[in-house]
Amino acid sequence: MEFVKKLQESIEKHSNHNVLCISNTFYTYKDFAIEVSKIRAEVARVVDDAEKLIGLVTNDDIQTYASIIALWLEGKAYVPVNPATPLERNSKVFELTETKYVIDSSKTSVYNDYEVISSHTIPETAISLEPKAVSGDDLAYILFTSGTTGLPKGVPITFDNVAGLVDAIEDEPEFNLVPSDRCLQMFELTFDFSVVTYLFPLLAGSCMYTIPKGAIKYFYIFKLIKEQKLTVLTMVPSIINYLRPYFPEINAPDVRYCSFGGGALHSDIAKEWSDCLPNCKIFNYYGPTEFTVYSGFYPYHKETHTKAHNGIIAIGTPQKNTLYLVVDENNQEVPVNVSGELCLAGPQITPGYWKNPKKNAQSFFTREENGKQVRYYKTGDLCFKDSAGDFLYVGRADFQVKIRGYRVELAEIEFHAKAKSDKKVNMVALDITNNLGNAELGLAIESEEFDTQKIFDHMKTQMPDYMIPMHVRFIKEFPHSINGKVNRKELKTYFDIK
Amino acid sequence: MSREEILSKVREAFVTILEHDNFKLADETTADDVDGWESVTHMMIITEVEKTFDIKFKLMDLMNMNNIADLLNTIESEL
Repeated sequence: MEFVKKLQESIEKHSNHNVLCISNTFYTYKDFAIEVSKIRAEVARVVDDAEKLIGLVTNDDIQTYASIIALWLEGKAYVPVNPATPLERNSKVFELTETKYVIDSSKTSVYNDYEVISSHTIPETAISLEPKAVSGDDLAYILFTSGTTGLPKGVPITFDNVAGLVDAIEDEPEFNLVPSDRCLQMFELTFDFSVVTYLFPLLAGSCMYTIPKGAIKYFYIFKLIKEQKLTVLTMVPSIINYLRPYFPEINAPDVRYCSFGGGALHSDIAKEWSDCLPNCKIFNYYGPTEFTVYSGFYPYHKETHTKAHNGIIAIGTPQKNTLYLVVDENNQEVPVNVSGELCLAGPQITPGYWKNPKKNAQSFFTREENGKQVRYYKTGDLCFKDSAGDFLYVGRADFQVKIRGYRVELAEIEFHAKAKSDKKVNMVALDITNNLGNAELGLAIESEEFDTQKIFDHMKTQMPDYMIPMHVRFIKEFPHSINGKVNRKELKTYFDIK
Repeated sequence: MSREEILSKVREAFVTILEHDNFKLADETTADDVDGWESVTHMMIITEVEKTFDIKFKLMDLMNMNNIADLLNTIESEL
């Protein structure tokens, strides 16, 4: 696999450079090569050849990053689980992937039911970074996102998918990382956006700067920009919403690239943020987990490139080898300037949701183009193409929302909220925009007021913290629309939040 | 204003935003120790504290604020 070979070459070539800065401690590529070699040797020694899907507890340390590369060198996939997420949910993930082995750098591991590889206690071995041969169809990782039935939904990504992403980004002349770059890595490794924030710096020999768990992210990011003089930022737009009141105090001339993704970028804040970064190119990236992180971008510039729809910056054009298609409800292409669901095709498309034929039948379709069958993924995002060929984002087609960059199915929250409630009443989860422009979760309950402690205690054992509603309102009778559905828009007006 | 008075007002701000009082605030308390104190509520708490004391924090202060002692020190310096 060419990109894995390139990772080996980069790690060897840049051995004196820094690879990671974690809580003010720097590690070199040589340190990294040692950790990777130790972990892969242990994986080769312990794990059966046929076992391909290996669990990875995503701590904020060098061993966790090294584990990803070690697994790839061994031709295996990582199945990341966040240590802050309830064990029950993480165990569900391992149950779905039939994972038997878990790499865990924690001092004491809670994964007693699995074969744990303690990545921080492996004895030293000789450096060995030669990748094993893999098939492009083999998996590189599986990420789980929120699903509607209360079960997390797995998105498997193959080595060929990742190769497609690397190929497309390398082909982009506007974006070139160099070994002297200092890059922000703000993402939890269970979030697919993290793939571009560790993979591209590693390929270029640049240094990544992580955010300690428990830190207030947006302030820590500013601290890194200021004190470590970061040059490359990759962020979700909600981060700059938090920093917005302090923009007049921010001037970061060292930043040369700032990529956004994972949510709508609004034009007013993009302009103001751009003023804080006088020497920076801004990219507004688009792409779902199902299409290996990025599928294309719009090159924003506060004076020359400001295309937007309803105040949301354009998502631009598809990247190399990627096809965009806007369709109606019958999967038929709609004309220019007409909104429809955006569908994606190309080498980065996932083989399909993990063991979920029903969902796959809904989310993928094939279409004949120039005598060939082309497979498309339906993103659930409403978009249109303008006459200049740029794509513009309109909104979500369903009840999936973004909370702090994470995709959340409102139905999953409702499922868990109702599961342990003594009162069998209707509950609706809603995304509510606060005055910073960020979405927060609200739970509307159709009832007289009652104690919700038990409901929340249960939810906290089932879902990560970003999925727990922050606001609760009791409404005696839910408003309904003409067709008898709960009127979610009107329900939101009950949440008067600051 | 004494440090105890400041702490007591800060506590009120936390209770207002977090909608519970199931926590202790001491110098060494961090976001990890208080249920519900995280990125979103942090900003709301900061705004509430600014209103209470009629002050405005600087980004430079906020980025180095790691525990309650840092918060109290910054408030004291602004009063």
